[in-house]
Amino acid sequence: MVPPEWYLLLASGVFCIGLFGILTRSDALYFLMSVELMMNAANVNFVAFSLYYGDLTGQVFALFVIALAAAEVAIGIGIILVLYRNFGDIDVTVPTEMRW
Amino acid sequence: MSDWIAIGALAAVGLLIPIGMMTVSALLRPSVPETGKSTTYESGETPTGGTRIRFNIQYYMVALLFVVFDIETVLLFPWAVIYRPAIEAGVPMTDLLWPMLTFVGILAIGLGWAWRTGAVEWARSSRAASRKTERDINT
Amino acid sequence: MSSVAPAWSALSPALLLGLTGLALLLVDTIRPNERSNTSMAVVSALGALASLSVTVWFVIAGTGHADTGGAITLLEGAVKVDTMSLFFTAIFASVTALVVVAAHDYFHDHQRPAAFYSLTLFAATGMALLAVANSLAIVFVALEMVSLPSYALVAFLKKNRGSVEAGLKYFLIGALSSAVFLFGISLVYAATGSLIFGEVAGQIESLDTLSGVAGIGIVMIVGGVAFKTASVPFHFWAPEAYEGAPAPVSAFLSSASKAAGFVVAFRVFTEAFPLGASLAADINWVLAFGVLAAVTMTLGNFAAAVQEEVKRMLAYSSIGHAGYALIGLAALSAGSAGNEAVMGAAMAHLLVYGFMNTGAFLFVAMAERWGIGRTFEDYAGLARRAPVACTAMAVFMFSLAGLPPFAGFFSKYFLFMGAIENGFLWLAGLGAVNSVVSLYYYSRVVRAMFLDDPATPSALDAIDVRPTALYAAVVFAAVATVLLLPGFGPVIEAAEAAAAALF
Repeated sequence: MVPPEWYLLLASGVFCIGLFGILTRSDALYFLMSVELMMNAANVNFVAFSLYYGDLTGQVFALFVIALAAAEVAIGIGIILVLYRNFGDIDVTVPTEMRW
Repeated sequence: MSDWIAIGALAAVGLLIPIGMMTVSALLRPSVPETGKSTTYESGETPTGGTRIRFNIQYYMVALLFVVFDIETVLLFPWAVIYRPAIEAGVPMTDLLWPMLTFVGILAIGLGWAWRTGAVEWARSSRAASRKTERDINT
Repeated sequence: MSSVAPAWSALSPALLLGLTGLALLLVDTIRPNERSNTSMAVVSALGALASLSVTVWFVIAGTGHADTGGAITLLEGAVKVDTMSLFFTAIFASVTALVVVAAHDYFHDHQRPAAFYSLTLFAATGMALLAVANSLAIVFVALEMVSLPSYALVAFLKKNRGSVEAGLKYFLIGALSSAVFLFGISLVYAATGSLIFGEVAGQIESLDTLSGVAGIGIVMIVGGVAFKTASVPFHFWAPEAYEGAPAPVSAFLSSASKAAGFVVAFRVFTEAFPLGASLAADINWVLAFGVLAAVTMTLGNFAAAVQEEVKRMLAYSSIGHAGYALIGLAALSAGSAGNEAVMGAAMAHLLVYGFMNTGAFLFVAMAERWGIGRTFEDYAGLARRAPVACTAMAVFMFSLAGLPPFAGFFSKYFLFMGAIENGFLWLAGLGAVNSVVSLYYYSRVVRAMFLDDPATPSALDAIDVRPTALYAAVVFAAVATVLLLPGFGPVIEAAEAAAAALF
């Protein structure tokens, strides 16, 4: 059996890739993918430690997270769509109607 | 450790076979360059226009509904797993069914609302409508 | 009473809110072509009020109170109804009622207002669920239940660039922080092997090598809480979202959604990561909250002082108030008897804040409905045309500033006194300094309305509409703010009892 630290390392790596994507890309769709990566990093932890502790909570919660991530993406794409209609672009740095 | 050897061997074979087939066919086949061979394959049609066209918004609406219902089955999965053992353990059928029925009922209300407010109807994009009228003028 | 009613009925405030939201969707499904703004608003207000009255009845009857058998736990301990959850549910339900009533006039010419009402009700359901959550899994699900409708609500005016931009920024920061929060939960699960608060607390003391993992997880959970409460470092969205969103939505987010963030923070950090055990594992979250509270209130108040638009000023002031309420977590010390006083005062402050801040944003909604501008100058001379509403706004402003005869003074006073008694003089002092700063910008609004002359004589001619429902909501919020003055004793008692059950 793979030792649990490795799962932690994998999850942290995936999480950091997602975070890096969010910080460096200004395209809204890349943002959604990066957030998805971060959430799935957490899922790796849940499933791995669910196995490690012999406790089903983590696995079931991972299923919930998948569903919630899908809902979040659905809302996100809706917002990106109205963003495109109003600003003609999906670059998140373009809308600056309001003073920062 | 022997498990890993097996996986590695599988990966090696999986790479070797396609690479080998491509090499052999590259060595054996005659070379006849032709323009038809290098065009984009589009189901036998002659390709027109660029690849970056804008799709009808309706695809998005349908995809969204699909995502919602596709993913919500994930939440039914744990319920389905415990269904049979629970029945065998003597849990009354109604106790087992009502959570699932409530869940599906809430989803159904949402779907009904989306339906009635026109999310599922095939909307005509203004671009498609204008193209249609142009063609009418021509004929 | 819990001996008579089935245990699930303890959840009826949340269920009522959710069922009302579903009923609105059903009505709109059956008759999609009637705009029926009025009946929608009436139904949702009735649902919120029903939920509020059930909650108040539960508080009076002592449901979940230690005297009547203690907290009611449901669903294998994942849900827990106690006095604190009822206290916060009362805040959510009252703010929801005010907001939906006000929205009736605000969306008077909107194409499809039904979606607004049901989204608001669903978000309120999520908040009520947050208040009873006793497991990190429920916390995350409920948090998303609040966040997802909120994103859509902020971007509700699809053709208004400000609203869309606000929705985008709220969504970007919200999605990022919820991912961070989730990863924090997964690390806590990795370290302790459970998601139920009580079991996490049991494990946290005996971590040795894993305490680093749990520590990072807790820091990430603090980040998620900071987003929901609009505190540093995840506060960037607040000024943008509150300014761009339709004003009733700003009222809803800045009062109810913020309180929802705090109820999670209070419960998670007292029950899942209790102070003594966390310190034993070298995880000092009190210090983290102390720094956050100090930075948040200073930044919020000083940024609010330089704003030119009233709505944006209110947004920054709402960040400042998040800083005050964070004192409720920052001024705790292990085993101290004063803990429940300071946390109870923070809860009472959130209740008072719920009314006065909602009222202030609804006044801005009324100004938007009238079509006068957004800056302080545009409000000049408003009191001559709309004396009642402006008096109400003055009450909100002075109460937000914490001037003595208003309810905001008492809650702040109890909060700072509690902090001092627990040995956190620096936090209380900083809070007092910030309150003085806040008096400057709050009084600017009052001065503009009552003392200044309008820029041009015709500037206020637009005010010939009388939005009755908005008026009613604003006046009701003002009356509640004033009535909390004599009624503050029971409120602070209930809040302290709620806090006492946590320690």
